[in-house]
Amino acid sequence: MPVFKTPFNGYAVQFSPFYERRLAVATAQNFGILGNGRLHILDLSPSPASPLAELASYDTADGVYDLSWSESRDSLLAAAVADGSVRLYDAALPPSANPVRSLLEHSREAHSVDHNPLRRDSFLSSSWDDSIKLWTADRPASLRTFREHAYCVYSAVWSPRHADIFASASGDCTARVWDVREPGSTMIIAGHDFEILSCDWNKYDDCILATASVDKSIKVWDVRNYRVPVAVMNGHSYAVRKVKFSPHRGSLIASCSYDMTVCLWDYMVEDALVGRYDHHTEFAVGVDMSVLVEGLLASTGWDELVYVWQHGTDPRAP
Amino acid sequence: MATQSATPPPNPTDEKPQNPASDVGQPTLQNSEDAKAEGIKEMSKPSVFVNSEPMREDQVQNAVKFLSHPKVRGSPVMYRRSFLERKGLTKEEIDEAFRRVPDPPPTISPTQPAIASQDGQLTSSSNIPPPAPTQTMQPAAAAASAGPFSKVGTLARSRFHWSQAVLAVGLLAISGAGTAVLFKNSIVPRLKSWIRKVVLEEEEEDMKKTNAKPSLAEEAAAAAKSAAAAAADVARASQEMVISKNEEKRYFGELMNLLDAQVQEMKSMSTAIRKLEGQSSIPKQENSSVLVSNSSRPSYANGKADFDMRSGRPLSPPASVEPSSAPHPKSYMEIMAMVQRGEKPSNIREINDLPPNPNQPVSNPRLAPRPKPWEVGQAQNSSGSILQSQESRDGFTSKFQDNGVITQSNGDSSVPWWQQKNVRITEIENEDENKTGSSGVPTIDRPVQRSWVPPQPPPVAMPEAAAAIRQPKKPVYEREQLTDDQLLARPSEITEELERVTKISESGGLTNSNGGSSVLNSGEIQNEDENTYFDA
Repeated sequence: MPVFKTPFNGYAVQFSPFYERRLAVATAQNFGILGNGRLHILDLSPSPASPLAELASYDTADGVYDLSWSESRDSLLAAAVADGSVRLYDAALPPSANPVRSLLEHSREAHSVDHNPLRRDSFLSSSWDDSIKLWTADRPASLRTFREHAYCVYSAVWSPRHADIFASASGDCTARVWDVREPGSTMIIAGHDFEILSCDWNKYDDCILATASVDKSIKVWDVRNYRVPVAVMNGHSYAVRKVKFSPHRGSLIASCSYDMTVCLWDYMVEDALVGRYDHHTEFAVGVDMSVLVEGLLASTGWDELVYVWQHGTDPRAP
Repeated sequence: MATQSATPPPNPTDEKPQNPASDVGQPTLQNSEDAKAEGIKEMSKPSVFVNSEPMREDQVQNAVKFLSHPKVRGSPVMYRRSFLERKGLTKEEIDEAFRRVPDPPPTISPTQPAIASQDGQLTSSSNIPPPAPTQTMQPAAAAASAGPFSKVGTLARSRFHWSQAVLAVGLLAISGAGTAVLFKNSIVPRLKSWIRKVVLEEEEEDMKKTNAKPSLAEEAAAAAKSAAAAAADVARASQEMVISKNEEKRYFGELMNLLDAQVQEMKSMSTAIRKLEGQSSIPKQENSSVLVSNSSRPSYANGKADFDMRSGRPLSPPASVEPSSAPHPKSYMEIMAMVQRGEKPSNIREINDLPPNPNQPVSNPRLAPRPKPWEVGQAQNSSGSILQSQESRDGFTSKFQDNGVITQSNGDSSVPWWQQKNVRITEIENEDENKTGSSGVPTIDRPVQRSWVPPQPPPVAMPEAAAAIRQPKKPVYEREQLTDDQLLARPSEITEELERVTKISESGGLTNSNGGSSVLNSGEIQNEDENTYFDA
């Protein structure tokens, strides 16, 4: 299985929505505490010599915590940088012309970016300054700022089926559902007693939302009845860092955790844990499921490795 | 014979266009109903993403009680709101509670002694009427929010007893030693000199006086000497006391260190046990786990405290405390320690990462946005997306077949192991297609618009072209080339092909064979004709 060694500690990975073989990795030096960052664009090449080849890489003065491929332009991606800025990179331009934009408005670290799959030119950034900002690629300033959380917002994710709805996960132990047409959040899901690190929407059921928390659990919520979770999935032994719904199967969830494993869950099933991969030797911090190739998973962690494998196979197999 | 149904591009709103759903008519009843239901949901006032519950009076009352508490009164409004939100109250309930509890005028607070301690930092923020979230809440110290605060408080308090006892004993020892030293250094010499003076004076007196009182003088001298001796003894005794106290202090200190070491060992053992239970297999725990529990704090109260300590990044990169902390890697702890000391790790370079041209025009997209697998169920882009993704897999599967069976075994590249899965998928999707039999393919997506244009349904049936596609050796390779490496060279080609084929299809398939061959040439267009095949 293809493995790529990054010079810095991995933070996020995402497959390109345009090319089956392409993915990008966000990394930060010194575990993201203090140091430079680098954004890699990798290709799964058929040649056995270098199964994961680097197409391009971009250096940043501060660590890169997250990335998001554009949904409208195949070569554009946004990076959330630890200095609070969101930078746009264009892989079709030579590295000397990159980044093409640096949008600095957050007063603290930018922790996540996410592009809208329906309104393909808009994206959200969430930050440790408790706010979420809405941007479009062609404007130098943010369109909206959503400020309600009482602590760092770790993740803001668009709904895949409603172009105006997004959800956010925050260290104030709440997840919120927002509507850009409304001035504030429309729903507050106080589902965990500890920080909520990640959230994601079910691609096949537009009312289902999953949250992952420091309390080691993943809870699945139905927004129509948000006081009681639909499912609670325990199994990780440390904080769950990222959760992602499968683009191909409605009830399948991938998660990665500080217990160094990547797990797959089916929340509709009694025994939810469907798969567990413990290939990382440090915190597993980023995970993604490919939208174009069913079952293709990628993960990265603080052990500076990026793995790409097919569900059901061993990521460490040669 | 599907006719071309003209679907107007939807108005640029967020709702999925319902028109095509009903127009196409092909999708099953269920689909259209779903779409309609969703449309209705969105159209009607309360969307499903909003609280539709009425206000709960009991919760509001609890909130009012909470807000009326004197301790809470002194805390920033943001923290109060956040606490209530965490307890599960809706915005309306929180607003109602705030409305019911009048804000105290800022000058009245001094009567409450409880607030006095917090007043220093928080009066300024509580004076400002709360337009909900402001940045000023951030730098305040320990939050008034009960949850984590109480936990941390009890933790702190329980630890406090321990260290308090230590401190008290230490203070006592130090004060005892201090007074002994003071006594020894200042009072005893004075006493001695005074005694000596007295003795001298007495002697002089004796000298002046007649020797008639030598016995008296002698006695007095003897008495003075004994007094001096006694004083000296006292001094020696106090010195010894001081020494012994110091020794005791030392012993005590050593004992404390030993105890600490033991506690640390026990902690590490417990984490080790927990780790073993949790079935992970990593060795680096011993000191790192202890250090973690000391340094990394989760709840934002402490997170902020950490932030104040270090001007850099807080430990809010989520580290847990109550649920057992994840043992951080050793080098992570080293770097944290370095940063806390104010040193900069040596491997950081100066990088200029500003955009070289802030007005750089972004390059035009070379590919149309590909429909998502979950959009398959929608009427608009139903089987088109299946087909489009299917053909990409078709390409792989055919290649797979070409290469023979051996590809699975060898350890090279990604292509073989992708195909394994894909073969299954194509089968399933074939079935799906047969069931739905719908049509709709994304042809071109005009680049960059605010709203998403649904794909045009494909018009014409061309069985011959579809049959021609069934032997797709050549186009697969070409397509492989195109998408992987040569996109830079041939972007326009593909879009041209797309346009051309679309035109051909729309015009009713005049050039049958031409259409087929041009389709063969660019892989992405295969879908169209396959689609039309099913249409027929």
